[in-house]
Amino acid sequence: MSHRQARRWLILLLMVAAFAWLISNMWVWETALGYLFSQEAQVIHPRASLLVLVLEHLRLVAISSAMTVFIGVSLGVWATRPGGREFLPIITDITSFGQTFPPVAILALAVPMLGFGLLPTVAALFLYGLLPIVRNTIAGLDAVSGDLVGVAYGMGMSRTQTLFRVEVPLAASVIIAGLRISIVINIGTAMIGAVIGAGGLGSPIIAGLVQDNLAYIIEGALPAAMLAVLADQLLTGIEDSLKTGGD
Amino acid sequence: MIRLEKVTKSYGVTVAVSELSLEVNQGEVCMLIGPSGCGKTTTLRMVNRLTEPTSGRIFVDGQDTAHVRPEQLRRSMGYAIQGVGLFPHMTVSKNIAVVPHLLSWEKERIAQRIEELLSLVGLNPAEYAGKYPGQLSGGEAQRIGVARALAADPPILLMDEPFGAVDPMTRERLQAQFLRIQRSLKKTVIMVTHDLDEAIRLADRIAIMEAGRLVQHDTPEAVLSRPRNKFVHDFVGTDRALKRLSRISVSGFVRQSPSISISASVEEAAAACVRRRWVWVVDENQRLRGWIDRDSLHEVASVRESIVATDPEVIAVAETATLREALSRMLGQGLRSVPVVDDRGRLLGEVTVTDVENATAAREA
Repeated sequence: MSHRQARRWLILLLMVAAFAWLISNMWVWETALGYLFSQEAQVIHPRASLLVLVLEHLRLVAISSAMTVFIGVSLGVWATRPGGREFLPIITDITSFGQTFPPVAILALAVPMLGFGLLPTVAALFLYGLLPIVRNTIAGLDAVSGDLVGVAYGMGMSRTQTLFRVEVPLAASVIIAGLRISIVINIGTAMIGAVIGAGGLGSPIIAGLVQDNLAYIIEGALPAAMLAVLADQLLTGIEDSLKTGGD
Repeated sequence: MIRLEKVTKSYGVTVAVSELSLEVNQGEVCMLIGPSGCGKTTTLRMVNRLTEPTSGRIFVDGQDTAHVRPEQLRRSMGYAIQGVGLFPHMTVSKNIAVVPHLLSWEKERIAQRIEELLSLVGLNPAEYAGKYPGQLSGGEAQRIGVARALAADPPILLMDEPFGAVDPMTRERLQAQFLRIQRSLKKTVIMVTHDLDEAIRLADRIAIMEAGRLVQHDTPEAVLSRPRNKFVHDFVGTDRALKRLSRISVSGFVRQSPSISISASVEEAAAACVRRRWVWVVDENQRLRGWIDRDSLHEVASVRESIVATDPEVIAVAETATLREALSRMLGQGLRSVPVVDDRGRLLGEVTVTDVENATAAREA
């Protein structure tokens, strides 16, 4: 690891620590928001502490993103194999449709079937985040030179060995870029979970909108934004460390 | 060793290779050559089943390759292609280790083999093992490509224009190195090329293809002196005599030649020039520095002042060079001989125009 990379990870670690400290010390928020919005009787949403809200939020993101990553990458790989080639247009169409369809609409459709809470939210987030992952996986794998794949076969690698030793490593940075986009979108979109009682950082925002309390909104929005930035930085770091093959 | 029996490959109505029969003996270098689209690469790829023949059979060591698992077959043959072949995300040593790794060699054995191979292709293992392909020059990358093909010591090498993507000087050096390695390893090689000079230089036998058919399969000498039909005749061109010279190494023709030291006096130089018009000049380590001409010795104080063409790279040829290169240098310098130097630039002797003439006459007869 180069000196520059080591410094970057150190800074990232400090940022994560600062964030953790911020969300576990409610008095900071109470003081700051109380100062900014002195006219409000209450500046902290009473439902739960920020730490609990952030953990709820992260749980939503973790479950749905784990599903999108696993299924999205698998779909992308399959669509570039000889057996799945013919399904490639259908797969890209369906995933594009998944992103065009507003998550709120999916929630509205999912609630009658899946009830309230975690399940319909995860379903909506899963469909919404699929496109960047599938698209980048396909683009990354397609960009691997056919000659190189030919050489891999020519040297006696099986299809699976070629996929894991040549194609995936060479496409890795593009695939990770897809994951990053999908996960960052997911952190923002997971706010809607609060509408149907899945909790998370959306709850103070919804409450703030309903009660016309700007302090609540900021209490939810600011940590969510920080979370998104942190996730973005973390994944960009991984992405860059995969761009080897030279210096 | 490798036998193709009436092999045909067609894509729909287009026939890429048509009823091709070819036999390559053990330890022989077979150069597949022809204009682009003649099916030479397709033929090569059918040997390791990257392309499956439409009909016909291919035998390796008497065994029909159709009955061998493709992966297993390919691991027993080295495979090298032009330029792009190295995996960019793997270091040089990982690239070389691919096939040994597939064959589950032990770690120590692989490490030892990597070192051996890098030394064999003339690259310092300590310096190159950890580099990525992106950090190599074209010539270095090609050498790693050859080393990788040789990694598991396969009896057969399949090479698709392995020296294609480099400049002419580097290509010449890689070819000389290939010949040296091949002389000691005696692999059975099928190499695709579109460069006739390369084919003539490297081949034991040349297979000339035209539109998917094998037109002539013969030694380079025979192809040059007895082209089977008009196509081959036109393909080898009108400078056949010259091409034949590139089959002959200068090493058999090096003769003693007069030389003087660069620190010699003008009188000594004049004395050396009595019997001939020009004399080679060497330094105290016997390294070639240039030559002096009898006529240029007037009105100068030292040999150093009248020396001509001081760059040995331009005037001399290596021991491994061919008579064709020697002749080309002579014509370039306007001299009747060319100095021959060893790999450290020390003067070994010279080759004269008469030697070249005699060599041509001997082959003609």
